[in-house]
Amino acid sequence: MLDTQVKNELMTIVDTGRYLDRPEELACYAYDAFVVEALPDAVIFPETTQEVSDIVKIASRYKVPVTCRGAGTSVCGAPIPLRHGIVICFSKMDKIIDVNTRDRYIIVQPGVVNVDVQKALAPFGFFYPPDPGSMNTATIGGNMAMNAGGPRCLKYGVTIDYVLGMEVVLASGDIIRFGSKNIKDVTGYKLSSLFCGSEGTLGIITEAILKVRPLPETVKTLMVTFDDLDNTAKAVTDIIGSGIIPVAMELMDKLTLNTIEDVANLGLDREAQGSLLIEIDGVKEACEREMTLIIEKVKENGAIHVQEAKSEVERERLWTARRSAYGVFAKLAPDIVSEDVTVPVSKVPAMIRKIIEITEKYGLKVGVLAHAGDGNMHPMIPANKADKEEWQRVERAFDEIFQAAAALDGTLSGEHGIGLAKSDYLPLVMNKQTIDFMKKIKQAVDPDGILNPGKFV
Amino acid sequence: MKKKTPQNCGKCGLCLNVCPVYKVLKEEPASPRAKLQLIKAYENDTLSSSPLLKEIMSKCLMCGSCTTNCPSGIDHYSTFMEMRRKMVEDQGETPAIKSLTYLLAREYRLKFGAGLARTGQKFVPDLFARNYKLGNIPLKNFPTLNATPFRKAHDVIIHPDKKPVGKVVYFTGCATNYLYDDTGVATIGILKHMGYEILIPRDQTCCAIPLLFHGAADRASKNITTNINALKGHDVDAIIVDCSTCGEALTNEYPRFIEQQGQNPSEANAIAEKVMNILSFIDQQFDRLEFDPNITEKLSVTYHAPCHTKNNFNAHIIVERLIERLPFVDYKRAVDADECCGGGGTFFYEYPEVSKKMVDKKIENAKAVNASQWLTDCPVCRMNLAGNLDTDDPLKVLHPVTLIYSALKDI
Ligand SMILES: Cc1cc2nc3c(=O)[nH]c(=O)nc-3n(C[C@H](O)[C@H](O)[C@H](O)COP(=O)(O)OP(=O)(O)OC[C@H]3O[C@@H](n4cnc5c(N)ncnc54)[C@H](O)[C@@H]3O)c2cc1C
Ligand code: SF4
Ligand code: SF4
Repeated sequence: MLDTQVKNELMTIVDTGRYLDRPEELACYAYDAFVVEALPDAVIFPETTQEVSDIVKIASRYKVPVTCRGAGTSVCGAPIPLRHGIVICFSKMDKIIDVNTRDRYIIVQPGVVNVDVQKALAPFGFFYPPDPGSMNTATIGGNMAMNAGGPRCLKYGVTIDYVLGMEVVLASGDIIRFGSKNIKDVTGYKLSSLFCGSEGTLGIITEAILKVRPLPETVKTLMVTFDDLDNTAKAVTDIIGSGIIPVAMELMDKLTLNTIEDVANLGLDREAQGSLLIEIDGVKEACEREMTLIIEKVKENGAIHVQEAKSEVERERLWTARRSAYGVFAKLAPDIVSEDVTVPVSKVPAMIRKIIEITEKYGLKVGVLAHAGDGNMHPMIPANKADKEEWQRVERAFDEIFQAAAALDGTLSGEHGIGLAKSDYLPLVMNKQTIDFMKKIKQAVDPDGILNPGKFV
Repeated sequence: MKKKTPQNCGKCGLCLNVCPVYKVLKEEPASPRAKLQLIKAYENDTLSSSPLLKEIMSKCLMCGSCTTNCPSGIDHYSTFMEMRRKMVEDQGETPAIKSLTYLLAREYRLKFGAGLARTGQKFVPDLFARNYKLGNIPLKNFPTLNATPFRKAHDVIIHPDKKPVGKVVYFTGCATNYLYDDTGVATIGILKHMGYEILIPRDQTCCAIPLLFHGAADRASKNITTNINALKGHDVDAIIVDCSTCGEALTNEYPRFIEQQGQNPSEANAIAEKVMNILSFIDQQFDRLEFDPNITEKLSVTYHAPCHTKNNFNAHIIVERLIERLPFVDYKRAVDADECCGGGGTFFYEYPEVSKKMVDKKIENAKAVNASQWLTDCPVCRMNLAGNLDTDDPLKVLHPVTLIYSALKDI
């Protein structure tokens, strides 16, 4: 419970319906899709920037922790209020403020769901490229705070590549605005890189100007299966190496394919050891040429089955399969750990071999899934946290997977972020001075450490 | 595949934006994910029962969208039903819902209640009726009750219009029996036209779904037994329902319920196998329909897919296809044709402000396509949609069978 004084002050900003603090309600804000949980003392739903600023001013005065939340789809514990305090939930601050396809931008409040941005743009023939697997639920604020990526980011880049401007409420309650509606803008520091990916530890995003793109003329989608996982990975390296940059290149291994098929009955090849879902887009003629080249490359690597999606329905079916991977794995055991170490694409085959070697060593089940074109691995390990012995093996396996990735010039996370899941591993990929530098930034912007405390900085 | 329990929820959140209640309220406690976490906490004794917990559990349309979209295969539907039962056990039920479940539990009470309500309706002063609302629906927009309950007005056995091709049982449900006899008349008319002999067992009663939703398991049990006895052992091609909620009860809930009670589910299973939605039945034998050649003008029609059609029978695709196949129809799909209308059993009554937001959006989008008929195959959706349109609105809400029946050639 918050101090009565603090509560009373907060209640002058929002009405009762936008302030929750009964135990049943708080329990609903203790989790995300990660395994650690912690209860907030209050949940508050602002609708305007001014309200956010007023809330933070109070929190700052009383030094109450503030943790932002979008839809709570983070898989690393980023929105978990580890030190309790206030959760500011943006789900009701969800207006699309301006759609301007002539100048190629859209302005939104942080609680707008990614898919609603796509829906607002589609009638104009435009889209917003970042497409996390959680796009039907996750918010733009959450996407920005996590610098989210998705399958098609291989070609188009991640969230930060689409941020033109932002409005941010600082830990003091001050409101700052930077960037503009211009595609080119080098006025001052590029502050968006500071806040994008800061996981809510540096400032609170209250508005965003996002760059949008015209929808491509043609999209082609291909499902390729292999009887060998190593060859599957090599095909990825070969295709990228030949100079083609597909929109997406999703790798799934046998266990993943079968687990999805068990649930969704989509007609996936159960015998394949590995598969690639490849999508290209652009001008029709260029797509056709690229497609021929891709098919050549996968055949050189021993592809056994190559199937092109004949219709939008078929394409959707293939993507549904890919998108449901995480969820279907969750059904295999009470808990699921999915990390997303990333390596340079030429190291993909080596990394996959490592993942399999390590999980075998610890006697764990693993589904290998990857946004393979950009080297972003998604090994998923179903396990039971309550089983202490098994959980220890899971932790040890991930220790080694992180080390293996670092040794291959890789990094801890390609898109899921650090959150609670990976903060201990930072020294693997950053020296002490670098970590200290991040701490200095945090100190400077949030001297009392009230924003999302207990996380990686 | 065996359905999964709350323990298997990966908390991925993919069910949030398919939940009609979450989409309106935008609060986690309204979401399916939260309900599962709370149920888990309640079962692990880390959260105790409370009026608020009960309220959170009942702020749900029992529409099944979460189950349909959950990649982990969680069976929300049964999990919620069981939790609702426990909540009623712990916390009791509100007087209004109590009297509803009391009425639905016994056919004679329903008849009695219907009689009272009918006289009531006549005597309610106009001004009062205009201003008074039940849930989000103004009283004056409520359907009037059938002059005679449908089953009373019809024979137990009805013969086809032409050479018989088969035999079906018709489970009418409460809505057709008491409120919407036009649906029943059309269903019978179409079946006769197709060449079916129809058996309408006298002693059928409410399917019990409203009772199960409100945790009245003991009352539900009696209804279920009565219906199984009424429906079992007939040598027929199908057991026809005109309401997908009744259909869902007969196909899924009955066998499960019987099994839970430790009884042999073989009779319930045999019934479940024969249950068929009238619209799917028509779609399968579309060639048996002969339309009136004098109808030359096309009617513009739109459709609202009830959640229980969508999520339990997955039949909304079939219904839309059927509507499109009708030669006299110009089908205009509304952008949100398969979104929930917020009616959901007694949801419109318990949470009118949430329900109202949903239905207003539906109406706006349905009007945008300029149709004159708004078809829907669920009586509660019909009551909710029509109830929120002005009585003199040109857009009319009907069960698809009524439209089909009106266009059949006399034979
Ligand atoms: C099935 C599934 C698939 C996924 N696929 C992908 C994927 O393909 N790519 C990917 O990158 N991620 C993926 N994720 C992870 C997750 O969906 C993303 O990180 C997403 O961006 C989180 O958005 P959210 O709205 O749920 O934010 P939350 O989880 O609520 O919060 C995430 C972080 O953002 C902060 N935050 C939220 N709003 C604000 C704000 N307004 N201002 C400041 N900080 C804020 C929170 O404090 C927290 O630290 C997936 C998750 C799931 C469950
Ligand atoms: S979609 Fe299924 S697994 Fe995901 S949060 Fe909802 S119930 Fe849990
Ligand atoms: S049954 Fe419908 S209303 Fe209830 S939680 Fe699931 S999706 Fe939401």
